[in-house]
Amino acid sequence: MTAAGRKNLPKQLSSAIDPGDVVFLRVSDKLITARFISSGVGALIFLALTAVPLVLKLTGVWAGYPAWLAWAAPAVVVIVMIWEMILIPRQVRAIGYAERDDDLLIRSGILFHRVMVVPYGRMQYVDVTMGPLERMLGLSTIHLHTASPGTNALLNGLPAPEAARLREQLSARGEAKLAGL
Amino acid sequence: MDEAVNGKSVQDQSGNGVGLRPDDELTWHRVHPVSPLVRGWVAVAAVIFIFGRNSLENVFSGHWDGNPGSLAQTAGAPVLVIAAVVAAAVVVFGSAFFLSWRFTRYQVTDEHVHINSGVVFRQQRRARIDRVQAIDVVQPLLARVFGLAELKFEVADGGKSAMKLSFLKLPEAQRLRAAILARASGVAGDPESPGEVHEAPETHVLALKPGRIIAAAIFSSTTIFALCVVAAAVVAVVWSGEPAILVAGVPIFIGIGASYWKSITGDFNFRVALSPDGVRLHYGMLETRAQTIPPGRVQAVGISQGPVWRPLGWYRVHINVAGYGADSSNGGSRSVLLPVGTLDEVMAVLGLVFPDPGVDNPFAVFAAGLQGPGSAEGFVHSPRSARWIDPLAWRHNAFRATETALLCRHGVIFRNLQVVPHEHTQSLGLRQGPLMAALGLVDFELHSTAGPVRPLVHHLSVENGQRLFAEQAARAATARRIHRREKWLAPDDDPAPVAEPAGSPDPMLEHAEPAHPVAERAEPPQEHPHDLPPQEQNRGD
Repeated sequence: MTAAGRKNLPKQLSSAIDPGDVVFLRVSDKLITARFISSGVGALIFLALTAVPLVLKLTGVWAGYPAWLAWAAPAVVVIVMIWEMILIPRQVRAIGYAERDDDLLIRSGILFHRVMVVPYGRMQYVDVTMGPLERMLGLSTIHLHTASPGTNALLNGLPAPEAARLREQLSARGEAKLAGL
Repeated sequence: MDEAVNGKSVQDQSGNGVGLRPDDELTWHRVHPVSPLVRGWVAVAAVIFIFGRNSLENVFSGHWDGNPGSLAQTAGAPVLVIAAVVAAAVVVFGSAFFLSWRFTRYQVTDEHVHINSGVVFRQQRRARIDRVQAIDVVQPLLARVFGLAELKFEVADGGKSAMKLSFLKLPEAQRLRAAILARASGVAGDPESPGEVHEAPETHVLALKPGRIIAAAIFSSTTIFALCVVAAAVVAVVWSGEPAILVAGVPIFIGIGASYWKSITGDFNFRVALSPDGVRLHYGMLETRAQTIPPGRVQAVGISQGPVWRPLGWYRVHINVAGYGADSSNGGSRSVLLPVGTLDEVMAVLGLVFPDPGVDNPFAVFAAGLQGPGSAEGFVHSPRSARWIDPLAWRHNAFRATETALLCRHGVIFRNLQVVPHEHTQSLGLRQGPLMAALGLVDFELHSTAGPVRPLVHHLSVENGQRLFAEQAARAATARRIHRREKWLAPDDDPAPVAEPAGSPDPMLEHAEPAHPVAERAEPPQEHPHDLPPQEQNRGD
């Protein structure tokens, strides 16, 4: 556990299917901001689209449009948006990873919960990506690929230095433990 | 004409069974000159058909004109046009074919297979021989007429781009296959003639009779679909009183017929044989194919049985091989290890790909895995609470770990058994949705390479799921450390296997063991210092 000194160790949401004796590291809380922004922008665009009939009705251009529908559509969007916003911090806090001797553990999700173990010796390559929003917040995404298309090992919201460290660590361990297919 | 490329002469190609020396860097070979025609015959046929039909129509309409003068004119012009078109076609196709042939060269050295191709967009491909996952020798119908064959060399890239050599003379293709496999296996060469190889002897294991293939096609989902279509047609005719409505069904029936035709011709003459270079499958009526899968290249096996086959006791066996990927050409038939077989035959082919089942009573364990239900032979099935989601299948959804492989059983109507050797486990996952959380269940998934087999254990109890997750991760780690070498016949291993005496295909799992000394589990790594060199090779890649 090389990064065990990091301060965001505890306060992990625990769940029934996590392996018991493992301490997961959490990803950066800035990912909450990033997800707020990205899903907020998407939701605002959607809200603007669904609000068009309401605007048309209020300005009298399309007076015949049923009032309940004009109000209901944006209202539903707003409710879903708020619900998503409430979920985001919990979802981000649910993402965790742990480096063990032989493999990397990744967990995610609360309601739809998933735990995955990726052996270092099975990694074919590691992708580190950084979108514009992530770059602004100093975050990176790391994606592990094995020979299996089913391995969907994606870690969002790692601080850039931690992502670089993890990448080096994974490559080094992968090389040391590399096995054939 | 294959000789004298780059001024260097090519070895004698007529020598039969002499083997093949590794090429040095300047020696290149060409594929057979007819190959572009064999590959491009559809285009040629289409052009001939279109122009031929038009010209013939012109000629005939000229004959029927009745006026001798106009006949001479109308018939004279088309003849010239035909001649010009034919000449142009010959020149265009001929030069295209010549260039494509001229620019395709290949070379098989000790370490690599090189293929250079392309006229405008040149392509140079190089694959490491020790990374071969499978080799196919394919003969499409037209290639068979010319006695040619295509050699396909698979590396583990998800089936996107095999190295293809099309076309070579059949004996030449077989010799190349033997040479590549010999180098991939690291077999010790004959000291008197270094570099020469001989085709590994093949032992017949089982063959499927034509009757079985036809019966399998008849007792299939195609037939159920056909019966549904017939019933729908009858209903439609009775209801509308208009027999002409049947015309609408003609394309569907053509499709059904084509499906039968495809499954019968595709699997015809299916033979399984074993050689020290791996399992060899031969099949096909019009297009024949010989697949070779070296030992340890099978990533996962799936055995399945639908409701129609249940009374007949037949099963179908699929495999994941890294090079085949999710290849859907040929209807995915390349990843079929056995298109239809009885329990004994299934056990026999399983014994070929997994020589070491890791249990004392493999027959009983695999039979329990195929037939279920319950916890016989150490299978762990879903808890009682799973009956709310799986009222029928909860006692069938089960797993059992042997010392060498994980067996996943599921389904009650469509039964499935998936077998994944521990050393081929890529990664593992546990999944749980809200409903499963309420019932205390969890899905366990095991990731294998791309292919038809996607190993999965449905709805385990959380406790069992967690234990399986932890234990399987540990087992996979251990198996990776003692993983068999990539070069399966390398000289510092046990002496090269002796082919079994022919004619004793014993349908038991132990069957294949004498032929696969390397497939036996090795001791822990510290006692096997010679396991290191291949690892170092891996690092260099």
